[in-house]
Amino acid sequence: MPVVYPVGMADLRIARNPDVLAAYGVGSCVIVAMYDPKSRIGGLVHIMLPDSSGIEQEKVNPKKFADTGVPLLFQTLSHAGIFRGSIWAKLVGGAEMFPPNEDFSSTIGQKNVEAARLALEKIGIPIMAVEIGGTSGRSLELKLETGMIRVNILGETVKDI
Amino acid sequence: MPEIVNLRRDQLDALREVGNIGSGNAATALAQFLNRKIDMAVPQAKILPLSDIPGLVGGEEERVMGIYLRVMGRMTGRFLLLIPEKTTLKLLHTLIPGCTVDQPMAMNELERSCLREVGNILAGSFMNALSVLTRTPMLNSLPTMAFDMAGALLDAVIAEMVDVSDHVLMIEASFIDNLENMKMHIFLLPDPDSLGTLLELLGVK
Repeated sequence: MPVVYPVGMADLRIARNPDVLAAYGVGSCVIVAMYDPKSRIGGLVHIMLPDSSGIEQEKVNPKKFADTGVPLLFQTLSHAGIFRGSIWAKLVGGAEMFPPNEDFSSTIGQKNVEAARLALEKIGIPIMAVEIGGTSGRSLELKLETGMIRVNILGETVKDI
Repeated sequence: MPEIVNLRRDQLDALREVGNIGSGNAATALAQFLNRKIDMAVPQAKILPLSDIPGLVGGEEERVMGIYLRVMGRMTGRFLLLIPEKTTLKLLHTLIPGCTVDQPMAMNELERSCLREVGNILAGSFMNALSVLTRTPMLNSLPTMAFDMAGALLDAVIAEMVDVSDHVLMIEASFIDNLENMKMHIFLLPDPDSLGTLLELLGVK
């Protein structure tokens, strides 16, 4: 039986076939999934913020930021024996949960997505699919058997990406 | 700037007192607005690790209405009201004569504005009590609102407060109407750079 491992905010986890990695109730956070179809090993990092620069180095939790979390996930997978040439990424999340008004506006979801794309480009990992933006929260499960991600949004039908 | 995880006992007690006074006032306002008795669970001041936050109101996928306001003034922060789906509908049925909406996603503008007003009243009365306590004016912004998974609403609210710390300080209270089985949760989250100011205003720097 596959085991489902949830990955909470500012956390990172890797696993292999037949297990499943999941993140539930993702709002403005961005989940970066990486998967290598040859070894069937993959991982998720649950990013909350785009950029760690400007924060004292020793205080940075690298799993919380796109600029540090994306390379860390790649490094962790590299140590686990993936084939660097066949790895790809998928992105889920980055919504703006609350509609803007005169006193309030947020672009944190969009910034997280942009920063995750940039960080992936830097290490040369292609993005296979995305389910990003909008104004709704998402739950997702990455099946390491196939690399398919099942995404759930309230009031919508389930999507596989 | 004090580190959230290093707060002293007396400082946490003072923050809990903010919860008592603020939510006491908010509960009274809500009771008047609804014209019924509202009970309040003992307010708490909690320092929570990120991993505990999405599950605060019954799991990260719990369907809730989130009403969100900024706190402005010498202290800045965020005020979040989370109302479970069933209570959201009961509130609307109580407040709007003839209202029969049966899912929050199908609300019309009147229903939405009615809930925003609930947020305004609760945040306004909470912050008013805190202004009197600290003799410092504090205001709340206009509310913004979304119905979604609790975890998704919470992550959007706290993301920008946790750049340095992996913990969040929350002053939390729950309101309960046993008769109608209604329940709602309010959270005051002082911005980390404002925590020193708040403690100073409370006399526990």
